[in-house]
Amino acid sequence: MRLKVNGQEVEVQEGTLLLEITDPPHLCYHPHTETRGLCRLCLVEVNGRLLPACATQAQEGMEVRTDTEDLRTLRKTLLEWLALFTDLSLAPGLQGLLEAYGAHPGRWGRVPETRKEREPIRDNPFFLRDYAKCINCRRCVDACGEGIMGVWALTLEGRGLLAHPTTPLDRPLPETPCVFCGNCIQVCPTGALRPLSMEV
Amino acid sequence: MEKPSLLPLLDARLPLSEEKVAEAARLAGVPLAQAWGVVRYYPRYRGLPQGRLLVDDPVARARGFARLLEGADGTHPPLGLEALSPIHVRVEGEERYVEWEGRLIPFKEFRLPFALGQGNRLLPPEPILELDQYEALGGSVFLRRALKNLLAPEAILQAVEEAGLLGRGGAAFPAHIKMRAVARGEPPRYLVVNADESEPGNFKDRFLLEHHPFLVLEGALLAALAVGASQVFLYVRDEFEAAILGLENAIRQLGEAGLLPVPTEVFPSGGLYICGEETALLESIEGKRAEPRLKPPFPVEKGLWGRPTLVQNVETLANLPLILREGPGTWRQTEPKLFSVTGDVARPGLYELPLGTSLEDALQRAQGEPEALKAVLLGGAAGVFTRDFTFPLRYKGRLPLGAGAIVAFGKEVDLWEVLLGLAEFFREESCGECFPCPLGTAVQVEMVRRRERNPDLVHSLGQTLKGSLCGLGQSAYWAYQSLLEVEGAA
Ligand code: SF4
Ligand code: SF4
Ligand code: SF4
Ligand code: FES
Repeated sequence: MRLKVNGQEVEVQEGTLLLEITDPPHLCYHPHTETRGLCRLCLVEVNGRLLPACATQAQEGMEVRTDTEDLRTLRKTLLEWLALFTDLSLAPGLQGLLEAYGAHPGRWGRVPETRKEREPIRDNPFFLRDYAKCINCRRCVDACGEGIMGVWALTLEGRGLLAHPTTPLDRPLPETPCVFCGNCIQVCPTGALRPLSMEV
Repeated sequence: MEKPSLLPLLDARLPLSEEKVAEAARLAGVPLAQAWGVVRYYPRYRGLPQGRLLVDDPVARARGFARLLEGADGTHPPLGLEALSPIHVRVEGEERYVEWEGRLIPFKEFRLPFALGQGNRLLPPEPILELDQYEALGGSVFLRRALKNLLAPEAILQAVEEAGLLGRGGAAFPAHIKMRAVARGEPPRYLVVNADESEPGNFKDRFLLEHHPFLVLEGALLAALAVGASQVFLYVRDEFEAAILGLENAIRQLGEAGLLPVPTEVFPSGGLYICGEETALLESIEGKRAEPRLKPPFPVEKGLWGRPTLVQNVETLANLPLILREGPGTWRQTEPKLFSVTGDVARPGLYELPLGTSLEDALQRAQGEPEALKAVLLGGAAGVFTRDFTFPLRYKGRLPLGAGAIVAFGKEVDLWEVLLGLAEFFREESCGECFPCPLGTAVQVEMVRRRERNPDLVHSLGQTLKGSLCGLGQSAYWAYQSLLEVEGAA
């Protein structure tokens, strides 16, 4: 089938994700988990509508734009907000994007409620859960549950800005079904979950 | 058949302990992690705020909110009591009361005063809570015909199509398109009545449910027959306890009269604004966190438990018996729409008006004077401030009608205070599933607090919220942007 990406004709196979033929920044999507469509960084314009490239299949005759002025504003702002509320110091990919989009988190002024004040949770000998760095992409929750392991040692806490992963009944990890496989650490994009060996 | 839903199992075990959560998870056949995620999502499992609470709605925000708060232990989200606002509720344990005329009335017994309803097609002059009353007024006729095979499913679909009925929940999507899509799907199919009205400023569905349960049920059953649904769920805002009891009573009466062709049950909602988003609502019935799904697929294809599902608003369905009775052509000439008119008008209440009525006429019906107003909030929290009083109230116009809320603000009202209430509402109600909405609504509160007018910042805010996953985030900046326009025009 044929479609247009930024004015250029492209020929692709049925079922191809727009993310595979375009190159918008993306964050929640991971090839090994089913998380997608959440971060909205990969939004592209399809026939005038905003759609997540990570969750949209190419269709005959689509006109896709990946880098309009509006999309740049959206991505830049979203990155700024992430930096405003979350500690991105161990997320080099995101730091790079912030620079590439000329982001200035400071332009939004002060925000009283942030994720940065959360204390790291050290409840097992293997890894740290440092939710001050968590953007709530849910990759870890999916990896532990439906996506990879099927053990369900992680779930979600709360709503809104303060939503983030937790354990069932908020128990320490060793008291959950966790088998310390490390899949959640593998998929975490921000260093919110990281091996204790990395700590000094 | 699907597994038992987790929410009613948890409800039956309130107040919760860890053992009770584990037991509910076992009975529902879900991982403990899922049950805990649900407990950590819905306020009623985490623990309701207690004490004397001021209902925080746009009318209360316009009446000196800080001073009103002095006599309260906290706030409660809007409850469809705007016509009575400012008003307090009291929460003691799991018991909830409305403070009304110097008395404490349990939610179970509290109905909106009938005097608030003005109209006659959807709002007959008396509450109709008994089947024989309803039938004496010509009710159930089409249901009976359908049950005797004298009214075919296709004839119902045809009538809805000819009437051009648009969804009354806010999205204004043509009802027949959704209905036909579901009717074409593989059985089993479901019908879900969206009765989770939580939009600040609106109380039309609450009123219909409390006073005209048979009208709503007849509409729902006609729709269920039309699309071949094998089960009807009424997802009713859990605070509307009197409405839930009234509906259950009406369902029982219909059943006894042999007028219940499809199993019908009431499902008390999760008690959050986001539960009204149709896919979040479906997740909630399935016993999960009420978080919107990615669309496509749409519920008409993959809805409840992955089956074709028709989700329709209460008012939309209530129109079905009317369309059949009057005939689609006659109905269409003056399409009735319910408007909740509140704020600075002499007679706040619910008004049934033909679509196309001007905003000015609507205000005057409620004895409000446009010249005395600074602006109107049209459409609720996901609405806009406007001074265009000549605006004809119809869908697909320049301004969003939403579910039909009209809140009038007099010249002395500080609209930024009202806006701050709306901004805080969105921040509180954001589900936190996608990124722009929880971040953006939190930023928005701070911007509104400092009365930020910088066009670059406001533009970036809107542009980014627009990219949210569902309508909650997508509409969260409309009121802000429109207030700046109203200010610029003043
Ligand atoms: S390490 Fe534990 S929590 Fe992480 S994915 Fe494996 S089982 Fe789940
Ligand atoms: S801990 Fe990491 S993987 Fe898990 S939600 Fe947070 S950022 Fe995503
Ligand atoms: S827009 Fe808001 S309410 Fe809707 S999915 Fe995103 S976070 Fe949830
Ligand atoms: S990567 Fe597509 S929305 Fe996150």
